[in-house]
Amino acid sequence: MATPRTLASTAVGASPSLWDPVVRLTHWGIAASVLTNAVLDEGGSLLHVSVGWIVMALLVLRLVWGVLGPAEARFSAFPPNPVTAVRHLRQLVAGRVRHYPSHNPAGALMAYAFWATLAVVTASGLYLTGGATPMQVAEEKAAVASGDWSALIAEGGGESSEEDKSLRHTVEEVHEVAANLLLLLAALHIAGVIVEGRVLRRSLVRPMLLGDVRRGK
Amino acid sequence: MSESPDIRTAGRRQTAALSIFLLIQTLGTVFFVGDVIGDLREDPGSAHFIFEAVVTAALVLGIIFGAFALRRTIELLRAQDQALAVARGALSDVIEGQFTAWALTPAERDVGLLALKGLDVAEIAELRGAAQGTVRAQLTRIYSKAGVSGRAQFAAFFVEDLLGAGVPSAEASTVKAG
Repeated sequence: MATPRTLASTAVGASPSLWDPVVRLTHWGIAASVLTNAVLDEGGSLLHVSVGWIVMALLVLRLVWGVLGPAEARFSAFPPNPVTAVRHLRQLVAGRVRHYPSHNPAGALMAYAFWATLAVVTASGLYLTGGATPMQVAEEKAAVASGDWSALIAEGGGESSEEDKSLRHTVEEVHEVAANLLLLLAALHIAGVIVEGRVLRRSLVRPMLLGDVRRGK
Repeated sequence: MSESPDIRTAGRRQTAALSIFLLIQTLGTVFFVGDVIGDLREDPGSAHFIFEAVVTAALVLGIIFGAFALRRTIELLRAQDQALAVARGALSDVIEGQFTAWALTPAERDVGLLALKGLDVAEIAELRGAAQGTVRAQLTRIYSKAGVSGRAQFAAFFVEDLLGAGVPSAEASTVKAG
């Protein structure tokens, strides 16, 4: 099966990595969701909560796919290994990069970091909304809009202690810091794709957009 | 790359559709699981909760089986792709070897290959920038070197290999190069 190929052999027409539809759907879905929730909408809004749940589903699907998916989508194809990641970065600086059938070692670390941060963001978001599904949020908002403020009281919990408030504040901080970390990781990821694409002299974006582009005839 | 794209695009469409289905299924399941956990906190003993928990378990199983099925489809498509490439490579190896065994000149090899691909004399002449008479003469030499009566038998010479068992009394072929 596909052994790691050198740059020399890619010129002959060896297959660059190809991504299956699940990897591509979850990748772009998560990208769009993170961008929407970090930049475009307001925290706590119905849209924000809905997108949060969607991103949780996307993350779950990608993680399931990391166990059940085809070879290059499975975690076993890109184990987190800081040593090889650093080696890869050094090769990248030297301009001589191996071709990997899945994520390269640095990209793999990035993927795991991204997923972990995403999990933190969704978990803290769930805490902040009390685990309310978008349907419940919508119901609450509708109730408040129609003048029934009891929903707010029930949510706030009449006798919320100082401890609860400070915990909530901490979680809010975590949610925000982790969200910013996501944007930072995304920027790093884009920079990595550009540099790697230059060095490998092929587009890394095309396979992620279109999937199998092994023979461009 | 002439006939396989149809099969390939059909396969790609199938996997894309299955993936989108799996995604929607996961979305639904995550929402449902969230709802069930909410119910669990309220009243875990109720028939409502038990029913929903069973449905959720079915949904989760559905995702797992869906993912398995999708993986198998993707791997099957890739295996077919690879087999097709191998078959193509193998056939062109056989053709190359046979051309060498017949001692065809480079020009004759080219013409022979184009003829095998189904081009007629006029097309071959145009492609090679040669006169039709030249091409016809080359084809005749190829047929005589191969010991076949004409184009049909020439093409059949290679197809016969792919058909395996073959006709009971087919002794038309000469010795194949190993």
